[in-house]
Amino acid sequence: MVQETLSRQAPASPIKKIAQRLEVRMLLLALLIAVCLSLLSPYFLTKSNIFNLLDQSVVIGIVAVGMTFVILTGGIDLSVGSVAGLTGIILGLSLQHVPIVPAIGIAVAAGGFIGLISGTLITVFGLAPFVVTLGVMAIGRSLAYIFSGQTAISNIPDGMQAIVYTNVLGIPSNVLFLIVLYLAAWAYLTYTKGGRTIYAVGSNKEAARAAGLNTTFYSILPYVLSGAFAAVAITFSISQLLSADPLMGNGMELDAIAAVVIGGASLFGGRGSMFGTLIGVLIMVMIRNGLNLMGVSPFWQGTAIGTIIILALLVERLVSSRVSR
Amino acid sequence: MQPNLAPVAEADVSPLLVARGITKTFDRTRALQGADFELREGEVHGLLGANGAGKSTLSKVISGHYTLDSGDLSYRGHEIRLRSTRDALRIGIAIVMQETSLVPDLTVLENIFLPELGRPGRLDYSQLRQRGQEILNDLGQGDSLPFDWEVRRLSSAQKQLVEIAKALGVRAKLLIFDEPTASLSPGEAERLFDIMARLRDTGHGLVFVSHRLEEVFAITDRVTVLREGRTVMNARETASLSQADLIRAMVGAELGAIYERKEAHIQQIDAPVALEVRNLSSTPAVRDVSFSVRKGEILGIGGLVGAGRSETVEAIFGLRPRTGGEVVLNGKSLRGDSPQTSIRAGLGFVAEDRRTQNIVPDLSVKENLLLAHLGAHRGFFCSYASRERKVKELLAGLGMPEDRLMDASMLNFSGGMQQKIIIARWLLLEPKVLILDEPTKGVDIGTRASIYTMLRDIAAQGVALVVVSSDFEELLGLSDRVVVMSDGRTTADLPSAMLDEESLTLLAAPRTSMVRNTEMLNELARAHDGAGFWGLIEGDRLICLNAVASNPALDPGFKAGEARELAATRIPEALRRREPVFVAEPDGERTTLVVPMTSPRGHDLGWVGLSLPTDRPLPAPETIKSRIDTMAATL
Repeated sequence: MVQETLSRQAPASPIKKIAQRLEVRMLLLALLIAVCLSLLSPYFLTKSNIFNLLDQSVVIGIVAVGMTFVILTGGIDLSVGSVAGLTGIILGLSLQHVPIVPAIGIAVAAGGFIGLISGTLITVFGLAPFVVTLGVMAIGRSLAYIFSGQTAISNIPDGMQAIVYTNVLGIPSNVLFLIVLYLAAWAYLTYTKGGRTIYAVGSNKEAARAAGLNTTFYSILPYVLSGAFAAVAITFSISQLLSADPLMGNGMELDAIAAVVIGGASLFGGRGSMFGTLIGVLIMVMIRNGLNLMGVSPFWQGTAIGTIIILALLVERLVSSRVSR
Repeated sequence: MQPNLAPVAEADVSPLLVARGITKTFDRTRALQGADFELREGEVHGLLGANGAGKSTLSKVISGHYTLDSGDLSYRGHEIRLRSTRDALRIGIAIVMQETSLVPDLTVLENIFLPELGRPGRLDYSQLRQRGQEILNDLGQGDSLPFDWEVRRLSSAQKQLVEIAKALGVRAKLLIFDEPTASLSPGEAERLFDIMARLRDTGHGLVFVSHRLEEVFAITDRVTVLREGRTVMNARETASLSQADLIRAMVGAELGAIYERKEAHIQQIDAPVALEVRNLSSTPAVRDVSFSVRKGEILGIGGLVGAGRSETVEAIFGLRPRTGGEVVLNGKSLRGDSPQTSIRAGLGFVAEDRRTQNIVPDLSVKENLLLAHLGAHRGFFCSYASRERKVKELLAGLGMPEDRLMDASMLNFSGGMQQKIIIARWLLLEPKVLILDEPTKGVDIGTRASIYTMLRDIAAQGVALVVVSSDFEELLGLSDRVVVMSDGRTTADLPSAMLDEESLTLLAAPRTSMVRNTEMLNELARAHDGAGFWGLIEGDRLICLNAVASNPALDPGFKAGEARELAATRIPEALRRREPVFVAEPDGERTTLVVPMTSPRGHDLGWVGLSLPTDRPLPAPETIKSRIDTMAATL
């Protein structure tokens, strides 16, 4: 009887199984883009440009970690850009009064606290993530202007530079941080109860709750992480520029969401991975970097990036409907 | 409408709809693999099959909800291709489903003429009202629908009538009724059958999808049976068939008795109580529920759709806030504030809807199996390895190869296998009590039998099982005892050996019909200062459906929901003789009239009794009888 029910379905071939993994297909796309760009610009594959690429990946990469967590639960966080701007100003102001480490602590805690408010409104009060984080986005940017007095805070202590310009084993510290962060996030999502709960919440919250998982806590946590990581990301920006501007992080949420989605996450939740997000981040940064190298006007870059994202997802949709289900 | 309103003669009936070799595949499940179906004008055609046989899929293909993969569909001799329900409606094919296509916030009239609302131009409400009234008159239901009410205020039977009127509003010629009686009381079902008979007599073709065999015999002219997506019995005259023929066709010859009765269980009756529920409420669906289940016992919870069964078990488990009452699990009070505390206390719960409440589609089969473990587990990591041995043991029991465990999605398995994995999810935790809500919903008949075996084995290991099911046959075959619910209350608690499908149907009748019956019994009892009851008599046993006593001295010795040996009641003589006269008991204290109650269509609704004191003039039995018959017509 059991044999009969099992044999009523067609078995999947091993190649199909690999092709079913979206990350694999996106990795191929990333390689394809890299090959194209290296053909178009001889400078693209030089060592200094590769380091440049990685350096440019750090800020958006860190934000994308929090965004991955949020999107895995089926939510969205539009506020990361303005939270980054606000916490950047908080960091800049704190640095006027306290040493570097506690100042960063204050900024990250503030980011986490904002995430806690969003997450609670969304999970406990049942408001739509899109609307709540849209509201927080407006509030965050407005407070950033008010706290900063509408100007950039430029007297940042030089000690902040150590965060970026220290080399460990020949790797810049900010890149190293990114790598460690992605490994930790991947391990958390894969091997811990919390990580698996985040997937389960996004895939089927009702079933997760019925199985006894703490869906409320793990629906809020991603927003807290997202806010905190936005603050961490802006810390790296400020340490490079030695200036905190209330406009910082503008448009960052779109880059982060695009990276996560290109990396194969479903906006409905439950599907996605840190590896995929990393590839998504690299694709975004590579395209922008390549367009710069080719001297494409910054005004055209938005059109190019937008077109490539939509095309990539369109192709992906057509391919996935053929290989899965 | 067609001019041929006269009943059509047998010979010149033309097929209204012919379906040949229909196939339909969802994901990887072949729901239909070559189904044939033929419907004539002026007939009620039963479409039968066990759960998962494909009858709903076929009806939805005919009504345009699903597009077919291959096969031919022809309607009135023309080949048709349906791309949507709109296509189907335009040519006159409508489906009457359970409330799903109605808009709850619009009025009855607006719902009936919903398709018209989409047309350009102004609506003429007075004209619509007039047309609506004509439709209802044609159905013989002239005054049973308040046109201005919002649909959300209607009973299920009224909503169904709106659906039917809506279909007739677009001049549908072919109507499909998909399990129309699942939420109706016996009386309401009969009224529906009257409507169906009228539609048949005016030349409509009706498809009646059901798995209740008595109903099939009561209303259909011909029957088609599906099994595993194929037509196994094609358009046979109902009159030429016996119940056994149909069961054989539905189940397949090799599966005889899938519910083997077990005697061993009876002796466990004094095992300790594992779960006790006292006066539980969770408004609005659950009002007053009490029952208990012992270790190793299988308790069934029966009732009509909407009786509050699922809500009850969800409130026990902590998925739904309680508003009163108490739940005691193994002697300790269970708060029920979250599923997590219930799980850690030793309760398991297989929720009703597999897809929305149990399966996490993006997790692997293994993780789905271990999901409840993850919920019960305290600690930072998953600790899947700690359950490895138990997982292997369970897989062997399920007959599932271990490598399928790493499959990326549960959705590639058949419904039956999915259900077994979900049950195994809870067995992994070795619960003390396991609650299963509709455990065989959408499971094919072969796998059902193995799920029953699985459940019996679990019970034999000392786990207390609570099984909620709408399938009365399943309920009776599987459980040791059955608790019946109606309108959020427990109305009976009886050993399943004492019950059959008919008595269950009557016990489960909605409160509205019980209220009318109580009113009548009360009036009779008060008028003559006696006591009345309504019950079923089988062999030498009485199951009481309702009892009222205006005169406490005449209490018959049983209450609603109780079963008694006839000899153990206070009116044994009257119950034994059941003659159309007042029968005095030997002790001389009372005299009792016991008369059968039948519906206008001749359906047996049990017995109504009236006990009166002997020291007074007795009313004529005929007047009492006619009162009862009048009431029976409104049930």
